[in-house]
Amino acid sequence: MELLQIKNLSLSFGGIVALSLLDITVKEGELHAVIGPNGAGKTSLFNCISGVYPPTSGEILLRGSKISDLKPHEIAKKGIARTFQNIELFANMSVIDNLLLGCHTHMTTGLLSCALFFGRAVRQEEESRLQVERIIDFLEIEKVRKKTVGSLPYGIQKRVEIGRALAMKPKILLLDEPVAGMNVEETEDIARFVLDIKEEMGVTIVMVEHDMGVVMDIANTVTVLDFGSKIGEGSPSEVQSNPQVIAAYLGQ
Amino acid sequence: MEIDTIPKLFARNRKLYSDKVALREKDLGIWQRTTWDEYWDHVCCFALGLKKLGLQKQDKLSILGDNCREWLYADLATQSSSGVTVGIYPTDVASQVKYILTNSESKFVVAKDQEQVDKILEVKDSLPGLKNIIVVEMKGLRRYKEPMIISFKDVEALGYTINEREPNLFEDMVSETRPDDPAIIVYTSGTTGQPKGAMITHKNMIAMIRGLAEVLNFRQTDSFVSALPLCHIAERMFSLIFPMWAGCAVNFAESVATLQEDLSEISPTAFLNVPRIWEKMHSNVMIKIQDSIFFKRWIFRAMFPVGMRVSEFKLKKQPVPLHWKALYGLAYLLLFRPLRNNLGLLDARIFVSGAAPLSPDLMRFYHAIGVPVRECYGMTEMSGISFMPRDDEIKIGGVGKPIPTVEVKLAEDGEILQKGDSVFAGYYGNPEATREVVIDGWLHTGDVGEMDEDGHLKITDRKKDIIITAGGKNIAPSELENSLKFSSYIKEAIVIGDRRKYVSCLIQIELENVAHWAQNNRIAYTNYKSLATHPDVKKLIQGEVEKTNSNFAQVEKIKKFTILDKELDQDDEELTATMKVKRSSIEKKFKDLIDSMY
Repeated sequence: MELLQIKNLSLSFGGIVALSLLDITVKEGELHAVIGPNGAGKTSLFNCISGVYPPTSGEILLRGSKISDLKPHEIAKKGIARTFQNIELFANMSVIDNLLLGCHTHMTTGLLSCALFFGRAVRQEEESRLQVERIIDFLEIEKVRKKTVGSLPYGIQKRVEIGRALAMKPKILLLDEPVAGMNVEETEDIARFVLDIKEEMGVTIVMVEHDMGVVMDIANTVTVLDFGSKIGEGSPSEVQSNPQVIAAYLGQ
Repeated sequence: MEIDTIPKLFARNRKLYSDKVALREKDLGIWQRTTWDEYWDHVCCFALGLKKLGLQKQDKLSILGDNCREWLYADLATQSSSGVTVGIYPTDVASQVKYILTNSESKFVVAKDQEQVDKILEVKDSLPGLKNIIVVEMKGLRRYKEPMIISFKDVEALGYTINEREPNLFEDMVSETRPDDPAIIVYTSGTTGQPKGAMITHKNMIAMIRGLAEVLNFRQTDSFVSALPLCHIAERMFSLIFPMWAGCAVNFAESVATLQEDLSEISPTAFLNVPRIWEKMHSNVMIKIQDSIFFKRWIFRAMFPVGMRVSEFKLKKQPVPLHWKALYGLAYLLLFRPLRNNLGLLDARIFVSGAAPLSPDLMRFYHAIGVPVRECYGMTEMSGISFMPRDDEIKIGGVGKPIPTVEVKLAEDGEILQKGDSVFAGYYGNPEATREVVIDGWLHTGDVGEMDEDGHLKITDRKKDIIITAGGKNIAPSELENSLKFSSYIKEAIVIGDRRKYVSCLIQIELENVAHWAQNNRIAYTNYKSLATHPDVKKLIQGEVEKTNSNFAQVEKIKKFTILDKELDQDDEELTATMKVKRSSIEKKFKDLIDSMY
């Protein structure tokens, strides 16, 4: 079943065309990778999906309802969470607080009841805290839970960022280069976490990644972008043997 | 019914303590409690579940994974079914796991998580006797289609339905356990050759604990933190046998990485660890002091000698003069109390170091800060500890007197021989090896020692490790090595000199601390190798070696040393699972390096 449909999506900044007439369908429960050379429009695509850039034309549908005219926080509430290519955590807050912020979209209490801290506010706070602990356990970051994020190594920060996205209880998780700049061991860890998120939590994942090894190993479907348009799509092995893709990206 | 097996002790404790806390494990950031009643229910269900799956008397069940509550449930369930539990080190690689599973003829294996399951699956085709892999944490296993895999909870659920139907079945199984049957097989760390499985009976364990309990006097209010791997006999003793004997509580850390923090949260009343950890804690303290503000450094410099002085009085059993007592009170408030609190050792009254010798300097350090560490002596083949000093018998360099249930004598060459009910039942499937070590009921330990005038044993070294230099002088390498390892810059030292002109040494630097030193001295390096081969580091280590040399006689002095440019690793067959150096394999591996020093 189609979870996310991107139809005829175009995005341009003045004369520069970042995305042109893109059609992508993400099925429920799959791990969909988006690859392409630098400047191909991968991150622009993510920014369109999460509502940071309003598309110039075309539309994005989540389970058949249009989301491309919503604001980023409304899209987040609909169950689309993301991580960023460059880590965008709150460096001076602890890991727990960063993750709790991820739970924020699901809190329904107002300023007053939170300030007085009774009734529903207490219940929701406790639920969120438990949710955060489950994520900490899942991502194996118990040791750093009370540390300031800014003091942690890069690889761990990346994990915390995935954790914050998971705290939103997303239906779709957008991962922007989750293993960039990591060594082999860290890459393997993240790949394992990504698979576990897909299978244990049932979250659909869209992933932009340059590490072909990871993409070919774990993705179900791969979409290849070049200069803002789709030049190939299919299973990893199909994409690998597509001559257009080889010419544009894998290099020959 | 006479209480002569571990499961029978368990049944007694359950009646005695029912809703008192038996186990704690930190999960989702909170310490989760298990009472004795709940403990019993888990073990009962799991044992009945195993019965349903086909576990029969004397069948073996292996456990592979980090310490957790389920480890103990599985262990007790197997023992209660008159089966035999085999512990496997979680750090063992697939080939070692295969060796132990094959050698012990295990029918079941309990694996903690996906990592451990993968190791077993890798070798399962060569294990025809294996029936099921029981997995504690199913995370990441959903896509596995292996029919052998069953979750721990499902086995408990199987047992639960049987218990509903036959509520007395489990108690009957417990009362059928016999003292002379093997209860556990403990694989020795194997500093030489393949590990051997020592069979330990219920009688062995009960004899050991009865003797040791007279020395250490454990109470039901005591608590431990499970820190060493449970497959090691020392940890099995503290996490399983002692609680069964005295009703103490056992705590499990959240993960291996958080052990130090969890330790300070629990602040256990008894603490047993290997010298490696005592060394690590000491060097952490020393490095942190260097990094702290001037005032704190000043406090440490001023107050630490007070502790040293007072502990000297105490060790010599002299009364402490009043003014020293007053100064010590001040030092306690300003330094020792916060320091011990930080280490998680504030509430402890029993501190034990075992498995390898502890450096005397290190012992003095701990005694000074008010942590009276005592060294004990024991081995797997003695079902755990056989020598333990009493509270007023602690001596630096001595391991005290034998526990009441153990008889001891020294052979002509100084080898320690022991006899008693705690001498193990033999190596599994290897009667020749058993005959070599147990002769007329006397266990030949392979360790050389001497008795002092008070009847305390002092261990010299492993018999085969004693160095005889070309000049004919006997040297115990462990004394030199421990003195070197006291330096916070040296992690491991291997002294060499058997049938050679002089003594030399291989040294592995403590990466963290030397890196810290390099940073302070503006020495650029990229990795372990570049740091280890840096000439300034060589100078630093030279200084540490000279410090050690100044305490030893001329023939014992280390003339040359080499810093290893790689870290010793268990995977490279250089260390055992308990982080002990495999001397023979290292001497073979670094032969060229060693020869270049002569």
